Amino acid sequence: MRDLRQVLPSDRVRTAPLERSLMGRDASIFEGGRAGPVCFPVGTEEVQGCVDTARRHGRAVVPRGAGTGLAGGAVPLEEPVVVVTTKMNRLLSVDADSRVAWVQPGMINLDLSRATAPYGLHFAPDPSSQQVCSLGGNVGTNAGGPHCLAHGVTSSHVLAVEVVLMSGEAVVLGNPDGWAPGMDLRGAYVGSEGMMGITTAIAVRLTPNPPAVQTLLLAFDSVDAAAQTVSAVIADGIVPAAIEMMDNNIIRAVEAFVGAGFPTDAAAVVIVEVDGLPGGVAEEADRVVELATARGGSVRRAADEEERALLWKGRKSAFGAIARIMPNYYLHDTVVPRTRLAEVMNRVYEIVEEHDLQVMNVFHAGDGNLHPMLLFDRREPGIMPRVHAAGAAIIEASLAVGGVLSGEHGIGMEKRDFMPLMFSEADLDAQARLRRAFDPSGMANPSKVLPTGASCADINALDKVPDGVWG
Amino acid sequence: MSSKVSLRIAREGSPAKPTLGIDPEELASCVSCGLCLPHCPTFRVTGEEWASPRGRISAMREVQDNGAAVDAAFLSSMETCVQCRGCEPACPSGVPFGSMMEATQAELAQRRRFDLRRWGFRVLSHPRLLNLLSRILAVAQRLRLVPSKRLGLPPIPLAQKRLRPTGDDVWLFTGCVMDAWQRSTHTAVKRVLEAAGAGVALPGAGAGCCGALSLHAGLEGHTRSLAIRTMKALEGTSPILVDSAGCGAVLKEYGKHFGTPEAAAFSERVLDVHEWLAAHADQLPTAGEQRQDVTVAVHDPCHLRHVQRVHQPVADVLSRYVTVVALDDEGLCCGAGGAYAAMQPDLAASIRDRKLEAIKRSGADIVASANPGCTIHLANAGVAVRHPLEIVGEVIDHDG
Repeated sequence: MRDLRQVLPSDRVRTAPLERSLMGRDASIFEGGRAGPVCFPVGTEEVQGCVDTARRHGRAVVPRGAGTGLAGGAVPLEEPVVVVTTKMNRLLSVDADSRVAWVQPGMINLDLSRATAPYGLHFAPDPSSQQVCSLGGNVGTNAGGPHCLAHGVTSSHVLAVEVVLMSGEAVVLGNPDGWAPGMDLRGAYVGSEGMMGITTAIAVRLTPNPPAVQTLLLAFDSVDAAAQTVSAVIADGIVPAAIEMMDNNIIRAVEAFVGAGFPTDAAAVVIVEVDGLPGGVAEEADRVVELATARGGSVRRAADEEERALLWKGRKSAFGAIARIMPNYYLHDTVVPRTRLAEVMNRVYEIVEEHDLQVMNVFHAGDGNLHPMLLFDRREPGIMPRVHAAGAAIIEASLAVGGVLSGEHGIGMEKRDFMPLMFSEADLDAQARLRRAFDPSGMANPSKVLPTGASCADINALDKVPDGVWG
Repeated sequence: MSSKVSLRIAREGSPAKPTLGIDPEELASCVSCGLCLPHCPTFRVTGEEWASPRGRISAMREVQDNGAAVDAAFLSSMETCVQCRGCEPACPSGVPFGSMMEATQAELAQRRRFDLRRWGFRVLSHPRLLNLLSRILAVAQRLRLVPSKRLGLPPIPLAQKRLRPTGDDVWLFTGCVMDAWQRSTHTAVKRVLEAAGAGVALPGAGAGCCGALSLHAGLEGHTRSLAIRTMKALEGTSPILVDSAGCGAVLKEYGKHFGTPEAAAFSERVLDVHEWLAAHADQLPTAGEQRQDVTVAVHDPCHLRHVQRVHQPVADVLSRYVTVVALDDEGLCCGAGGAYAAMQPDLAASIRDRKLEAIKRSGADIVASANPGCTIHLANAGVAVRHPLEIVGEVIDHDG
């Protein structure tokens, strides 16, 4: 503590019980995390100071941005030093000609797009939490978002990162000019969930705002017809900017919040957005309408920017809106082949019925990224084992059709123990060795992502998620 | 109104009273998604969880559900909340943050042995005393005996013209501090209402403070007696028009707080003055074109935008007479927050700095804000700021 106050002004190092308990959780369902000293650095050197001090005292270090993660990646275990980046929120530089900006990791995703709007540029990855999540967190989880279908996820938009390693050294991985010789260490780092070091600056690629956008709301009587339309659009050679799907339960919850005129009697709606040059956009939109109507869909076109914003507000507030129905949710994140979407969704409905739970589905249909949300009230006795059993069954069902564990939320604590379902021992060992190459000490965000036994270096890791952490 | 009326937030007589008196269902309704964070002025300027709605709710849970101590960190987390309620429209789960914060403030107020605010706010319920003190303050200001800027005080007039009623089509609620310090605003509002053909009734000395400041400070007994008096002074069925956003928000929530049919019927009659004018726009005089070159930025007071959800009517009425530009900060609070600017001057100033940047970016000549707290707070930072209807009144007068 005293040593931390040598590297940071004392008002930016906190130990009050309240402060530490607030840092104990993020937006996931994990409770019971416990932070050690909480630090608010404003620059790279201060982060280096925090890491140095933690290392000398044998403490682990957990980075935290806005705390909107859904996999428990920022939940501190065993009182580590928590490094909060929210005060590192400056836009460091913008090169509009090269379409590159350097930002600090605590900058909010949407603030970056707002700040670059005068140049006609934006940051393409747009997680549903973009109005609050931090860019450092986006790098940590390799975050996605509706508009990543055409533009690619965070990794495609990060040219370079400045990282403070656990040795205290600051290094730059990648190159803001676009390519770096040698191995793509930047590529290895993006998505490493805080296990390789702490991001202190990011060179992001900026994307020109499209000259024309057309947003369509397609409504269907069956989930199957909606899923088939999604597949048909992609098969037709169209790559829309976004294809999002919502099932009836979530349509009704969201409509109660935004009042955007979502059809509450539809079994599923699909939001399709096409962008580009005006001529192409009109043609693609017409083709999407044709494909949808051929499958029994009804179509509404957003007439103006206001209507378009309202549709997206509905989509992006879906996760929070469910609390109108139940006080807690467990949001899953698996990816399945697009052609198997309807099949897996029907399986999800069955699983939920078997465990006597409720589910809502709202997801990135274009890339098969499912987000089933299990609704529950944690005050109900005996509910948690059912929620976890259903969650595990959903993961197994997704993997069974050739899917993967996570699309964009990350592994964190949530999916850690499911990793062996997807990766062999050799795969896991290779990942553990890669991590160790960056952090030989294993003190950077320990006990996350890689299950125990993945490597003998994980001597600090816990056998299992500690009691009381699963809420 | 009987003396048995109890504020909803008080939860008197419930068998096992939770430590903070917050409705357990309300407290359970937050899913910690964090979408409120960027809409919270104190989170925006600090970047710290304890200064965010999500953090404050977690802190309330720690105390009420898990028995954590009400310590300095907890108090600071609660007392630094501006109670702007900008988090409420941002919350997809519809968490009633204002209601939970009011319950917490009420509980904390009961624990305080001495609360200067209790005495300060008591003055607000005595219009004559308030007027007398205001005149003394006005003289002291001119003798430079009062550090006005530091206390967040506006220049207080030495003398004010009396307002006279002109009919009974609508009530104009005049309030306490605003009537004592900014009666010129009421004069302008009354002038615009009359130009729209309405005869204006005034509550006179019978009504005073609506109880907003007491409510936000958790002084529930005091709030109750002020509310009873206000309802009595504004009898009948005419619409009650309010030109102060903070007062309007509380008057509209009397029904919710008291739960009686009388209070609900009273709240039904309350309208922000811009709501009424926008609905009667066809009765407003048309403006000469020459004034359109004045650019006005609308700063929505929180209790107008987030609580009353009256955002469009102000712009609708103003844009008949001047060119209106929007601020690009999504209606973030200016930091005034009733007595907040005086109680938390540092945070209030940091929050205001963000607002000043947004005003600068808008390129407006003048800022319009329909709440006395906001106009005083912004004017103290050198912003040219007026009540929207003062601007409208001037154009109408100019055009004759």
